[in-house]
Amino acid sequence: MSRGTADRVVPAPLVAIGRRRRLNTGDQIFRGLAYVAAILVFVIAFILVLALLLPALPSITRFGLGFIVSRVWDPVHEHFGALPAIYGTLVTSAIGIVLAFPIGLGAALFLAEEGGLRMIRGPLSFAIELLAAIPSVVIGLWAFFTLTPLMRANIDPFLNHVFGFLPLFRGTASGYGYLTAGVVLAIMVLPIMTALSRDVIAAVPRALREASLALGATRAETIWSVVLPYARVGITGAILLSLGRALGETIAVTMVIGNSPNISASLFSLGYTLPSVIANEFTEAVGNVYQGALFELALILVVITVLVNVFARLLIWRFKGSEPASA
Amino acid sequence: MKRFFVGSTAIAALLLAACGSNNGTATNPSTGAANPIPVPPAAALTGAGATFPAPFYDAARFAYNQKFSQVTVNYQAVGSGAGIQQLTKKTVDFGASDVPMNATELTNAGGAGSVVEIASTLGTEGLAYNLQGVANGQLKLTPDTIAGIFLRHITNWNDPALAADNSGVSLPNQPITVVHRSDGSGTTYIFSDYMSTVNAEWKTKIGKGKSLSWPAGEQGASGNAAVATTIKNTPGAIGYVELAYILQTNMTQASLKNHDGQFVIPSAEGATAAATQFPDVTPGQFSIVDAPGKASAPITGYSWLMLYKDQADKTKGTALVDFLYWLVKDGQQYAVTVHYAKLPANMVSNDVTSLKTVTSGGSTLLTVSGS
Repeated sequence: MSRGTADRVVPAPLVAIGRRRRLNTGDQIFRGLAYVAAILVFVIAFILVLALLLPALPSITRFGLGFIVSRVWDPVHEHFGALPAIYGTLVTSAIGIVLAFPIGLGAALFLAEEGGLRMIRGPLSFAIELLAAIPSVVIGLWAFFTLTPLMRANIDPFLNHVFGFLPLFRGTASGYGYLTAGVVLAIMVLPIMTALSRDVIAAVPRALREASLALGATRAETIWSVVLPYARVGITGAILLSLGRALGETIAVTMVIGNSPNISASLFSLGYTLPSVIANEFTEAVGNVYQGALFELALILVVITVLVNVFARLLIWRFKGSEPASA
Repeated sequence: MKRFFVGSTAIAALLLAACGSNNGTATNPSTGAANPIPVPPAAALTGAGATFPAPFYDAARFAYNQKFSQVTVNYQAVGSGAGIQQLTKKTVDFGASDVPMNATELTNAGGAGSVVEIASTLGTEGLAYNLQGVANGQLKLTPDTIAGIFLRHITNWNDPALAADNSGVSLPNQPITVVHRSDGSGTTYIFSDYMSTVNAEWKTKIGKGKSLSWPAGEQGASGNAAVATTIKNTPGAIGYVELAYILQTNMTQASLKNHDGQFVIPSAEGATAAATQFPDVTPGQFSIVDAPGKASAPITGYSWLMLYKDQADKTKGTALVDFLYWLVKDGQQYAVTVHYAKLPANMVSNDVTSLKTVTSGGSTLLTVSGS
């Protein structure tokens, strides 16, 4: 079908109704409601930002940009800085993504590509969905009681022994801190990472795979040089959406991060994240500046997550847009 | 918003007045003349605030409801700050906090004269540790060594400063992991109040508050229970924990050198002994840490309840002061069952005096003679 003939395809009566725009009362009411609903979404988003911005003002006016670069968090003397929390949020999320990416992608490839082992494909899908359904506090509880002793006694010393030449794996390991929080986040983002990657890999046109195989490429070569490059943008989107989830995760991270505002090269060191500070301190935060500082942390968190999500959406749209329109 | 709350309180008042009139004159057979507990009118009371005394309040409100079924008391353990905010907005009948309201909070609530604050229970803190081979009470800590540990001057258990007070105890060569509360808490406030009282460096460097700026490398855990578990999980760890949690979880805790130079293992009796040393405690002057006296537990503090002096609703107000009167008198027995300390007699009589100032429409609500 060529673009020139598109107009003729639209049935005449529909065009006529569209032009006259004659709607009956029911339609008009429905249209009105839909408009209200659509506008409400904007209003709610606007109010939400405003509700963060207004209480944050005492802190914003007092500390200015210094808030973002200061490392001090001293409620007694009312000096507040967000840098350790921003750093902790980004580092733990990055560790989570780095760990979850290979596992998620591997599982996604298995689900989308591997035809021979149908037996375990169902259980695997089920396991991934199950993982997604576990409330984060339960994962946190498991991490607090089971993962932290394991990290302290086994995993951290092992990493220190093997990779101790890197500053990342030096220092005393308490079992809490960035690395443990990162492992917890990896577990939590694995389902999203896997499901989204599986979908984009499944969207790779069958013709491309078959062409590659027909040219004599092996299965692995096809995946490596045809499927993955094609799905690359979509997989990047999946990573960013997972990142969005990791950035905002609160309770499970709070339970294992160590809640200590530090900036240290070692992944074994204790840290703090933006959501953890807020969750820990809002109940007893007295005074406008202290409360304002917590609201400003929330604002920073919102800005970071919105940026990541917008970027992810853009990538995924680009991926969908780049699907062969008329091969 | 405000109008809505006023409106709903008025409706509640009408309903309560309607169903409360029958019970007001009933006599109470269970209490003798020596300790008359007033019979409250029917009411549903709501309080909110501190988490630390919540187990005591839960035990007490249940017992009170068993005794006087016409009164139900709900308590939301949402944190002291949130409790004070809810009281200020008048969405609850009483607030609870481990620290009395400060000047700003009182101004927000309508000025210092409009709120009555009473001490409800007494808590003390110990330093729990995880050291293999060092039994309960065997480790001796002084104000200076505690400050040294929490300020990170002392970072290993074999430090000479610790050995000096602990002859006969073999302290290992093991790094010290310091665990503290990461959430804002009255527990932290009382601990830092004590440290600021006994250590000059602490006072200038860290100060006192519900959340503090801790030295780098110390571990934060949210809530007494998480601090306790973290210490139990981590060899070489130490942290300040509410006595109730130490006892319930069978942790080992240090003997602390008190104001008189005696080493005491913190206990409920030690807390009461410490509180007795401060007969003039008021909501404005509430610190009772570092108490003199041989048996005094050093890191001790009251937990407070606050209510409005002028109660809009007479029936509800009467039920509230009747409940609180019982709480500071007979209700204290339930504090002991959950490992809190009994209020000393002088504080009970202060509380009763305060409760007698609560009025509605100009008339006093608490109708008991004596204190």
